[in-house]
Amino acid sequence: MLFAQIMVNGLLLGGLYGLMALGMALVWGVLNIVNLAHGAVVMLGGYCVYFLFTGAGIDPFAALPIAMVVMFALGYLLQRYVLNLIIRSAQLNTLLITFGLDVVLTYLAQLAFSADFRAINPSYAGANLTWMGVTIPLVRLGAFVTALILAGLLWALLQRTRLGRAIRATAQNLVAARLYGVNPAQLYAVTFGLGAALAGAAGGLYGMVSQVTPYVGAALTAKSFVITIMGGLENPFGILLGGVFIGIAEALAAIYIGPTFTDAISFGLLLLILVARPARSLRGA
Amino acid sequence: MVRAILLILAVVFLAAAPFFGDAVMIQYGIDALLFATLAQAWNILGGFTGYASFGNSAFYGLGTYGTAIAMAQLHLPFWVGLSLGAFLAVLCAVVIGLPILRLRGHYFAIATLGLSATLAAIISNLDISGRNIGLILPLTRNDVGFYEEALALLVASTLTVMWIAKSRFGMGLIAIREDEDAAQVMGINTTFYKVVALMLSAFFTAIAGGIHAYWITFIDPASAFDLSLNVRMVIMAMFGGPGTVLGPVVGSFILSAVYDALARSISTAAALLFGMVIVLAVIFMPRGLWDLGHGLRQVGWRYFLQNIRLHRL
Repeated sequence: MLFAQIMVNGLLLGGLYGLMALGMALVWGVLNIVNLAHGAVVMLGGYCVYFLFTGAGIDPFAALPIAMVVMFALGYLLQRYVLNLIIRSAQLNTLLITFGLDVVLTYLAQLAFSADFRAINPSYAGANLTWMGVTIPLVRLGAFVTALILAGLLWALLQRTRLGRAIRATAQNLVAARLYGVNPAQLYAVTFGLGAALAGAAGGLYGMVSQVTPYVGAALTAKSFVITIMGGLENPFGILLGGVFIGIAEALAAIYIGPTFTDAISFGLLLLILVARPARSLRGA
Repeated sequence: MVRAILLILAVVFLAAAPFFGDAVMIQYGIDALLFATLAQAWNILGGFTGYASFGNSAFYGLGTYGTAIAMAQLHLPFWVGLSLGAFLAVLCAVVIGLPILRLRGHYFAIATLGLSATLAAIISNLDISGRNIGLILPLTRNDVGFYEEALALLVASTLTVMWIAKSRFGMGLIAIREDEDAAQVMGINTTFYKVVALMLSAFFTAIAGGIHAYWITFIDPASAFDLSLNVRMVIMAMFGGPGTVLGPVVGSFILSAVYDALARSISTAAALLFGMVIVLAVIFMPRGLWDLGHGLRQVGWRYFLQNIRLHRL
């Protein structure tokens, strides 16, 4: 029974991890930027939902779309007016500039919101479902379902719409996409904005299942990164699966090896995958 | 020749400085010298081969813990501890370097990131390293001594880089940075070159960690494997001029001074400004102060727009 409970906990948390990684994977796959500020955007999304909930009394799940719109705007502006300036320089430089943005966003958040822990606690925060002896927290289930829905929407957007086709075309071949009338400056900004919107949604959900501080960003960036490598850059559902894998691995490790080992597990897995399957990582580099 | 004399004068000046400065200045000095060494050590691999390592904080942590375990748990003298730390770090560089130096670009950066996170987690679960609580080293009040040790280490690492920049070995590293496949075709044993560069980098980083541990007398996993330390190495090296001999040293001195001056007034603002400096430096002077000096002389203020013109969409 304990085992089943652990699996369910890992699965539900893993869905949220997957959603977090989706935005990073999208930006990475299309723009070839590893966005180290990704976790900071997740954190800002969390604050956005927190203040919409505590300040305006909007239900946190209903506040998610608003947070997504705000984060989309932030991401769009960052890419359009900062990152586009140097997008074609060496990879280390794009890595560094997003790290700089991460620092700026983190400490701006600390100045604006203080370093207090904030948790989003709607009235149903403590509610549970019990099914075959396994306890399922309602909020975590909601987060999981939301992650699934958003992954589905992203898949539909990429596969079924004109914008999605333009994004995929640009990822494959920028020059050819340009010849067919895609405006890359605009498209890159929109793609980065979409990634930020997904991060914002993940942040709101994260604030419901855990707490938000200005400093959670770095750990979440690292986690998103690990999941992105595992899930690959092609398929949103692959990323969700990677998230679930990490979620379950961490939940198992926390019980059977010790809670201080959770980070070692996910990074150890990452090292193993990178070293054991270099073909994939070499191709993408 | 003039340059060599100026450099020697600068070293003599730095060596004499603690006998005239006050205690606080010496402490800032030790920090700045150690940071400069770390930036220089990062430069050996990151600057010359273009492999951006985020695992140097792992080497720093190993140096720190090697020294601390030897001194606090085994009651051995300082130099034995330093050697143990350096040995562990160089060993780690070989064992880990061989598989992960096959990775390129982002993947190498992240694999090394994973390395320091994994080591930190392992160390914080071992009894001999004091688990999460950390270790306390014997106290020695000799800041001038630590200052001179840090300076000697910086000089040693800079001399090493100076040798690299002039040697066949260094040419091989630069060839790897410019085009690894071509370098291989030219007959360079790229794996060997990269691993040796990583070992040198690990060696100096670990010694700096050991000196810092003995000076500060208390270490724990969070501070020994601090990732932001690694990021500071990268930024200092990049700000000064990656792949140059003196760039990383000058860059880290300037950034340390700015950071300390700001941190004394308002700490949050210091970090915030640091972030802004990174963003602006990557946009306007991505090849560091060293290149900026040449560029300004050649094309004037238009140098700042050159990078954008080359790399914008």
